[in-house]
Amino acid sequence: MADLPELNPVIHGKLRLALLSLLSSVEEAEFTWLRSKTASTDGNLGAQLLKLEEAGYVAVEKKFVQRKPQTLYRMTESGREALTEYVQALKQLLGSAINA
Amino acid sequence: MSNVEEQELKDRLSLIESMISEGRRTTESWGWTFVLWGVAYYIAIALSAFGPSAIAWPVTMIAASVLTGVIGSRISARQPETTTGRAMAAIWIGMGISLFILMVCLGMTGRLDLRISVAIIGAMLGASNAISSIILGWKMQFACAVVWWAAMVAALFTTENIAGIIFLVAIFFCQIVFGIYGMIAESRRNKARAAAQGAFHG
Repeated sequence: MADLPELNPVIHGKLRLALLSLLSSVEEAEFTWLRSKTASTDGNLGAQLLKLEEAGYVAVEKKFVQRKPQTLYRMTESGREALTEYVQALKQLLGSAINA
Repeated sequence: MSNVEEQELKDRLSLIESMISEGRRTTESWGWTFVLWGVAYYIAIALSAFGPSAIAWPVTMIAASVLTGVIGSRISARQPETTTGRAMAAIWIGMGISLFILMVCLGMTGRLDLRISVAIIGAMLGASNAISSIILGWKMQFACAVVWWAAMVAALFTTENIAGIIFLVAIFFCQIVFGIYGMIAESRRNKARAAAQGAFHG
């Protein structure tokens, strides 16, 4: 069991994992779109996105579109690598459970 | 590893899969553009028959393009940019510019003939609808492509008057009827997705 990988705790949270997965499939996404896809509250969503931003997994851009403020989130290269590693670790753990 | 832990890991894996497919799924709406352009074609035809025929088509097409851009930017302002969305825009913008330049040049050089015009429009719209339908996996749109191709062939083997009628019929089915069908299908899809979504917590 010593060879089994550890799951990245920053990504392991359900909402953070959902957010990174969503962001991996689009070029950039607006805060309200992420909120509607995850059905989360503004406060919780903002807090989880901040954790991902602090870890360097997402980049934030604030701008005005048609005079309305928009907060856009984009997955960074290290975020993509972290998600890939997380999926590989998950598969390895599940594989070991099947073989046990 | 306990069964509970194993199940939790499986849940995480399926969460990743479902979120990626949710993000890739296009939520952009296209139905209204078909209706808008169908109405624009009818306005252009009516203007060219009863009004200033020389500028009817260019003016109507430019007005329809501006309107599409304005409405489209308002609708998509809060949607993420996806590769599918950009591919769709590329097909239709490319086709629209090509068709516009070709028709204006044919008109200016006096080589514009109704049968040739219907054939060119049928070929261009047939190709664009076919490409879109393959990318979106929308079989009904491929039926529109077939109708436009049929209109293209029929227009070349008939009189000018019948070619005009073929054009009007093709616009009705491929723009107005298909556009309304698309709007209804998109509305149902969005309602079904909204109902199926659940909340995630930290």
